[in-house]
This record gives sequence, structure tokens and C-alpha cells, in this order.
Amino acid sequence: MSRWELLLQVVIFSTGFFYAFTYYVRVSKPIDLQAVADSSLAYLTALITTAFGIGIINLTRIHWRNIKLKRPDWKFSAVLIGSLYWMAIFSMISSPFALDPQGVIIPSSVIAAIVPLWNFLYYDILVSINTSIFSLLAFFIASAAYRAFRVRTLESTILLTAGLLVMIGEAPISNLIWPGFSAIHDWIMFVPNTAGQRGILIGAALSIIAFSVRRMIKS
Amino acid sequence: MVKLSLDLDARTIYLLLILVVTVPVLSHTMLPVPISDTTKAVYQFIENLAKTKPNSLVVLSFDYSTSNVPELHPQAIVVTQQIFSLPLKVIFVAQWADGPSLTDAVLDVIDKGSKKYGVDYATLGYIPNVATLIGMTTDIQQFFPFDTRGNPTSSLQIIQQFPAAKDASFLMTFTGGEPGLDDYLQYWQTPFKIPTAVGATAISAPGYMPFYNSKQIVGILISLRAAAEYEFLTNEVDLSGAVSAMVAQSTSLLLIVFLVILGNVQYFVRSRTVRKGRSR
Repeated sequence: MSRWELLLQVVIFSTGFFYAFTYYVRVSKPIDLQAVADSSLAYLTALITTAFGIGIINLTRIHWRNIKLKRPDWKFSAVLIGSLYWMAIFSMISSPFALDPQGVIIPSSVIAAIVPLWNFLYYDILVSINTSIFSLLAFFIASAAYRAFRVRTLESTILLTAGLLVMIGEAPISNLIWPGFSAIHDWIMFVPNTAGQRGILIGAALSIIAFSVRRMIKS
Repeated sequence: MVKLSLDLDARTIYLLLILVVTVPVLSHTMLPVPISDTTKAVYQFIENLAKTKPNSLVVLSFDYSTSNVPELHPQAIVVTQQIFSLPLKVIFVAQWADGPSLTDAVLDVIDKGSKKYGVDYATLGYIPNVATLIGMTTDIQQFFPFDTRGNPTSSLQIIQQFPAAKDASFLMTFTGGEPGLDDYLQYWQTPFKIPTAVGATAISAPGYMPFYNSKQIVGILISLRAAAEYEFLTNEVDLSGAVSAMVAQSTSLLLIVFLVILGNVQYFVRSRTVRKGRSR
């Protein structure tokens, strides 16, 4: 391990240990450790924001190079950079992320001109595109359900039966067909599902603790 | 020998799905929706809070992106409308970058009644990371010096009255995944015992059931259906369009059930035919 790696390990361990310690143990004298931890969170926010900025610079460099060297599909890179910066500029002028929403520096007429443009780009373009892409899942699910969901083994039979009953119970019309569907749906969700989810949650939590401790004490 | 030649092409399935979704939506057919316990629990909690602790603080967190709008946005609309009709104060935050814009979209469609911005409600905007989420529990102004409209939070009456998020009497997150409920459970609900509820997509709701059973969360709104149930509870039928979408949801789910059964019948018939062929 190099000197830098050692220093990094020390910083990771100290920070992790400090926050874990202040979360569980209250120390108010001679220094209020909870207050120190709380105030240092503001610096952590600045640190994470800087990392986000580095991400944008990196993205720009990679795609700018694609455009400059006319690499295959460079046009997509141009669209990406254009969309990124136009949306960022519009958002900084008129959106919930606006830098000067009250028009102290940016003229109010500019903000008023950008508002409909931003609303159009965000609510009419972005929301519609994302919603459509998400909705396409329904078509794949319908096709996959017909082709892949087969009763081949005992396990797949249990899974298929439970899945079908939950799906039928989830459809409001099922209550008109037979009220028992809702009761079965609720039982599956509350009893076997909860038991399985608890197992997954506890297992995952133990794994995270083990990984974190290993990361902190790894030398 | 029974010969089943009902092999459905993917395009036929897509066409069937389009039909079972569009016909009910265009015909505006409505369906009575039975109210589930998880939805009723959220509704009752908010109603009781307004009666037992009027003018207490509610935090609504919009932790979803534009792709989750069909499932979660109607929930956000009906719950926000209920809260605005009751003597409660609301702070809007978001753990997802799309949240603040979607908050504005909700505030545009609801009836705000006599509620005044800064006094009864405020939009604080985006919570960029866990550090801010933790920090605002003890001091909102330090982590949100300005709201999304550019007002200093120190000038907002609601923030003067409730300077820390730990003062909240109820938290609800409409979440499309991570970050979402898990972070609130760790940093808000567990240390400060803030009653919490979640509005979830159908796919993530089963993962939240253990928290509901252990009473760590007071209730769950599950997908678009919960929004429709909520509209019936609040007598705001079709405020968000959820009720009129229920027939389309029912028919599309029943179509999928039918396709699964049909696929398996064909599978059995084919397997039987192959077995008979081999025995000959």
C-alpha cells in the first residue's frame, strides 16, 4: 500500500467511525460532537456538489472530443451536449432551480420569455418522453407473460399462481367478479411477501454492515 | 387430437393491449374501487392529525422522476389536495431532481383555498444528498437559505414556526425508488419518531410491506389504484384522472392474466402432443 492509499484509508476510517460514533453516542462535553457532525454535513454537501461538477466537465470533454474527431454517432454527442447545456441554462433562469428567481440581476423580461420555453421543454417534452418510455414496459410485460411465464416446475407453479392472484386482486374489477380475490391478494402481500422481504432486508443490511466494517479496517 | 393454432404474434398482443387501454380511457367509463387498508390508514392519519394537532407541520417529499408520473403524480395531487383542505402546514421537498418541478405541477392543479405561501406552505426544493437530509432535521435555514422562489427561508413564517424538520408531525414520501423511504426511515423516522407514510409504485410497494406490518410507516399508497381509492375517500372523484383510468388498468391486467393462461394451455397441449408422438 502506497502512502497515499494509506492516507485515504485513514480518512475513510476516521470519517466513517466519527459519524457512526456520533450517531450512537451523545457527547456534549468538552466538545458537542453532534453539533460538529451536523455542521460538517454542510461541507459534505459542498464536496458532493463539486463531484457533480466534475461529472459534468468529464461528460463534456468526452462528448466534445467525439464531435471534434467526428467519431461514429458524433451527432448523438452533439444532441447530448446541446440538450444538457440549453436545459441547464434555461433551468438556471426559470425553474425551481433558478439562480435569480426574483429578477434581481437577470431582467424580468428575460425570465418571462424563458418561462414558457422551459415549461414546454420540461412538461411537454421531457415528461411525455419519459412517461411513454415507461409505459412501453406494459407491452413487453404482456408479450413476455404470454411467452415466458410457464408452469414447468413446482416453484414456477407457485410463483405463477401467486403472481396471477396478485394481478387479479390488483385490478379493481376483480371485486365485482368475486370479492375473495381482494382478500387473497392482501394475504399474499401481507404474509408470504412480508416474510420474504424481511429476509432480504435483514440479509442485505448484515451484508452492508460487514462490507462497511471491512472497508474501514482494511489495511 | 386437439390442435391449438392460437399462436399470438407480438404485434397482435400489442394491438390487443392498445385496445383494452384506449377504449376505456376514451369512453371515460368509471368503476367503483374498493378501498384498501393501506390507503385508508394514510387518509385516516391525516384527518386525525388535523383534528388532534391542528396547524402542525406536514412534510411532503416528491422523490420521483417524470417516468413515474402516471403512477405517483395522481397520488401526490390527491394527498396534497386533502392536506390543503385541512388546518395543516406543509413544506415541500424532493430527493429527486425532478421533484421540485413536479411539486409546482401539483400546486398548479389543486385548489389552494385560503392557504398562503410562506405562511401555510413553502417549497424548499431539492435535497441533493443525505448530508442535507440529515442536516435539515436540526436546522432548515442552514441547508436551505432560500426557497425555490428565491425568498430567504428566514423570512418565511412557516420556517420561523418550524425551524427544524424534526418538528414535523407527519412525513409522506412519494417515491419511485432510491433515494426515498429508506433514507427517511433511517434519518427522520427512527431518531425523531416522525410518523411516516409512503406513496409507492406497484413494483416497489411489496418491499415496503414489512415496514407497514411493523408499524414503522402508517400507510402505503400503492400505484395509481391508491390515487383512485383516495379520490373516493376525499370525495374528489377524478381530480387526478385516476378513477377513470381504473377500467383501463383492470382490462389490461385481465388481458395479461388471460395471455398467461392461454400461453400455458398451449404449452400443455404441445407437451402432450410431443409425448404422444414419442410413445408412438
